[in-house]
Amino acid sequence: MPFISQIQRQTDYGLFPSTTPIVIDNGASYFRIGWAGENEPRVVFRNIVQRPRHKSTGETVTVVGDHDAALLKYFDCTRSAPRSPFDSNVVYQFEIMEYILDFGFDRLGANGSEIDHPVLITECVCNPVYSRSKMAELLFETYGVPSVAFGVDAAFSYKYNQQLGICTNDGLAISPGFTTTHVIPFVDGEPVYKGSCRTNIGGYHVTDYFKQLLSLKYPHHMTRFTWEKVEDLKMEHCYVAPDYALEAQLFQKGTKEAEDKTRCWQLPWVPPVVEEGPSEEELARRAAIKERQGQRLREMAEAKRSSRINELENELRGLAFLLKQLEQVGEEDIPSFLADTGYASKQEIESAHAKATQSLRKAKGEPKAEQVESDEKIDLSADEKFSLLSVPDNMLSAEQLKEKRRLNFLKTTTEGRQRAKQKRMEEELERERKNREDEERRLANPVLYLEELHVKYKELSEKVEQRKRLKTNGGNTNGNNLSGGVGRGERLNAAQRERMRLLTTAAFDRGKGEDTFGARDEDWQLYKLMSKDNDDDDDEHDPEEVELTRISSRLQEIDPTFIPKVESGTSQQVVEVPKFRPLTKEDFQVLLGVERFRCPEILFNPNLVGIDQAGMDEMAGVSIRRLSCDSKDVEDRLTRSILITGGSCLFPGISERLEAGIRMIRPCGSPIRVLRASDPVLDAWHGASMYASALQFPSQTFTRTDYYEKGEDWLRRYQVRYSL
Amino acid sequence: MEPEVIEAELVLPTYFSFKKTQIYEKYPKGQSSARRFKHLKQIIQAENIQSYPPDEPNYVNIESPPSMHPSKRICDITGYEAPYHDPRTKLRYANAGVFKVIRSLPSEYVQRYLALRNAAVVLR
Repeated sequence: MPFISQIQRQTDYGLFPSTTPIVIDNGASYFRIGWAGENEPRVVFRNIVQRPRHKSTGETVTVVGDHDAALLKYFDCTRSAPRSPFDSNVVYQFEIMEYILDFGFDRLGANGSEIDHPVLITECVCNPVYSRSKMAELLFETYGVPSVAFGVDAAFSYKYNQQLGICTNDGLAISPGFTTTHVIPFVDGEPVYKGSCRTNIGGYHVTDYFKQLLSLKYPHHMTRFTWEKVEDLKMEHCYVAPDYALEAQLFQKGTKEAEDKTRCWQLPWVPPVVEEGPSEEELARRAAIKERQGQRLREMAEAKRSSRINELENELRGLAFLLKQLEQVGEEDIPSFLADTGYASKQEIESAHAKATQSLRKAKGEPKAEQVESDEKIDLSADEKFSLLSVPDNMLSAEQLKEKRRLNFLKTTTEGRQRAKQKRMEEELERERKNREDEERRLANPVLYLEELHVKYKELSEKVEQRKRLKTNGGNTNGNNLSGGVGRGERLNAAQRERMRLLTTAAFDRGKGEDTFGARDEDWQLYKLMSKDNDDDDDEHDPEEVELTRISSRLQEIDPTFIPKVESGTSQQVVEVPKFRPLTKEDFQVLLGVERFRCPEILFNPNLVGIDQAGMDEMAGVSIRRLSCDSKDVEDRLTRSILITGGSCLFPGISERLEAGIRMIRPCGSPIRVLRASDPVLDAWHGASMYASALQFPSQTFTRTDYYEKGEDWLRRYQVRYSL
Repeated sequence: MEPEVIEAELVLPTYFSFKKTQIYEKYPKGQSSARRFKHLKQIIQAENIQSYPPDEPNYVNIESPPSMHPSKRICDITGYEAPYHDPRTKLRYANAGVFKVIRSLPSEYVQRYLALRNAAVVLR
């Protein structure tokens, strides 16, 4: 809905003589002020006040009415919520009322030392005398108003429409407002408050309900559902269904009609930028660069390798030369000869030589088979070394014994290594064999093989999942499950049972009234046992999981349609946006289907929001009953002219619904006619303006002296006469 | 103060010529206005309704009675007709699909749905 506030400062204040009354429609939603006798109010704004702090200067200022958000960004509005002077439909906050009146009079162009015009201001039905007197005091004392009149806005609206010929002298005025809904019967042109009726449901509650429903349904977009936006949505899209149950059934069945009635609000959404794959030239360029880098690295590696080969060859030549020299030198001179070179004995030199040849061969990149041979050769030479072991113990000296023990140790380790190597080779052969068999089987009968694999996969996955479920034990459920938790008789697996047993025995073991757990050191071993149990538990189903992953990978290779079952956690909330797939356009759409007619329904059925009062159609019956008129004739006259007025009656379909509802409670055949006011929103002000411009209006006002002299009781009984 | 703010006259001036006493004189700073004024409940209490004749309309008199129509139960989540209600969460639901959703809702949402109907448990 467009921004309807008009706050242009009027310039013609001085043109009006001081007998011209100022007419104020003080509503819970909007404040309208203008001159009597005119067609439209001069100044209109929302009846709220904010006191934000200016961001740079830090002073607290007052802002009245609703304003363009762009200007408000200079103020820190977080701590100041908009405040209204109303509590339900009664004014109670007179400081805020004063701010609003200040603003209103200021924009009307008021200048001079006081407001020198009579004021006609609207109030609610049966306004408490406290509120009325405070308002009169405010107007008289602070603004210097000469005379004041109070009137009910719905009555003014009815009189105005009566003048227009829409409704007759006797009738019913139904006015759903912002916070309340009133039904007032009119007899002979005057409202009879004895028969009036009020329910505390209004446009505010409809908007609030709508806002809550949307926030609960789309929690991710909650920030977008501001009060103003929701109000706009309500005014644009909500309607009253002629029969709620039927309409709801349409939507429940998902008929085409329901689809048509569902409106979709697309929130702004930018699709994520898909990076276009690099073009061909880009790819070629990158490949070339990589190639060059690879080439460079290879050259460097080559250079290093050749230098190392050279080194090794040199060493080898040196060692060979040494060996040759050794052969020439005699036995006794060996130690002294070798002392220069750094080797202790001939064997060392030989082993060093062998090692050098081996590394040389490796550096030159010869096949591994030769290396295996050389390994064996080394082992053989090691066997020779172990010759010492075959000599029995008693024949060796102490040193040799030590030597023997060391050799023993070496021997066992080398034997162990050999055995491990052998086992590995066997396993590999075995695996190769199995794979070959598998392949043969697959080639022979692909379909059957695939089926078998699938079956195996399903079985294994079920087993694994079941075990997982037992393990978690329902501990993953949300706060809704009040029962649950380990140790209440639910299935525990072996390890957890063992742990429980240990705990209980430790706790109750010693008995005899005193707990001496911990006095002995052995007690603490309990914890070691418990933690060990935990570890065992984890290893249990590992082989199964391994098997499972193997099968799933195999399936993925062979079968293009296989999708590995993703581990699903506990059920997630249906409306939650799953985080595993990219957000699409649909996630940013807000669908308004049932909410469109569910929200205005509360005007007819306040039980839906927990307010235990009658709805609009029932209120008409209550009002007629309260009037306790004797003849059916009067009642018929009332129902023949039912006027609905007020901002909340702009929902499409409200008149039909009201008529159907009233027909339900009236005797069969009675005339019912529901009429809508010519301008439901502004008619109250129009009526008041017309009233204030009548000649007899001054007789209906009361002056300051009246107020002070006549006292509160008189004020309570003060009512204006509407037919002038 | 930024120029466009001044031009739009967003801020309410503190002095008005047509007022006899300005607002800052009337309400000295410090005391919060919330405590200064009576709320509606207190206003009604202070009005002393019992001393007035009962058939005279006053603010409390004219309030509507509870509804006599059979109450319509609608599903809290979807808005359809709801013949069933969940004993654990006290929400009303229309069919099994909605029931599944209800059982998967976190407790905070359950309370908010109930608060819509004014049926939430309020711990004060």
